[in-house]
Amino acid sequence: MRLGIVRGHVTLNPSIPELLGKTLVVLEPVSMANLIANNGQAGGKALIAVDALGAAKGQLVAFSEGGEAANPFWPAQVPVDAYCTLIVDSITTGNAQDQKTEVWK
Amino acid sequence: MFLARIDGTVVPAAKHASLEGCRFLVAQRLESDGSSTGEPIVLIDWMGAGYGSTVLVSTDGGIARERYGNTSPGRMVVAGIVDQVYIPQPKVGMRRSA
Repeated sequence: MRLGIVRGHVTLNPSIPELLGKTLVVLEPVSMANLIANNGQAGGKALIAVDALGAAKGQLVAFSEGGEAANPFWPAQVPVDAYCTLIVDSITTGNAQDQKTEVWK
Repeated sequence: MFLARIDGTVVPAAKHASLEGCRFLVAQRLESDGSSTGEPIVLIDWMGAGYGSTVLVSTDGGIARERYGNTSPGRMVVAGIVDQVYIPQPKVGMRRSA
């Protein structure tokens, strides 16, 4: 799973029936330098993912890509290849003995 | 499958229902010279990998699907913690075989 910042939402009209009722978010994958700097910048190529968790603009999410992105809709066959798996609350680097730093939020 | 170095832990605010109780780590994929790619990835971990350890990552969701059910979107899983990576360096002046 990669990490991305939610930049907005997409609505479709018309859409194929498989995508009806699914929330689509615009994600910008974030680089490690921007993640540590926590500067709101991302730096990746934007992509669209299905979101069932209710991620809001500016939140950091982890998204699955590939065939696994369609698994949540199993056994239905849906043409989805990116899916928001989790919304990040915080990310901590370092260990307990070392200095612990929260790099997100 | 590829190698990655663990950079830290992820605390989720919300996650897919099938991944309840999972441990999530943030890591960076490694090149063959040991440098990192600079793009963070999130791994599902049940091996107990810690900060700084090098792990083998499997990108096959089948293992997550088996463990967490057919609806699990989990994909990158820690398949093992690396003990040693052995990459022999070519000797200086060695002739390249044909």
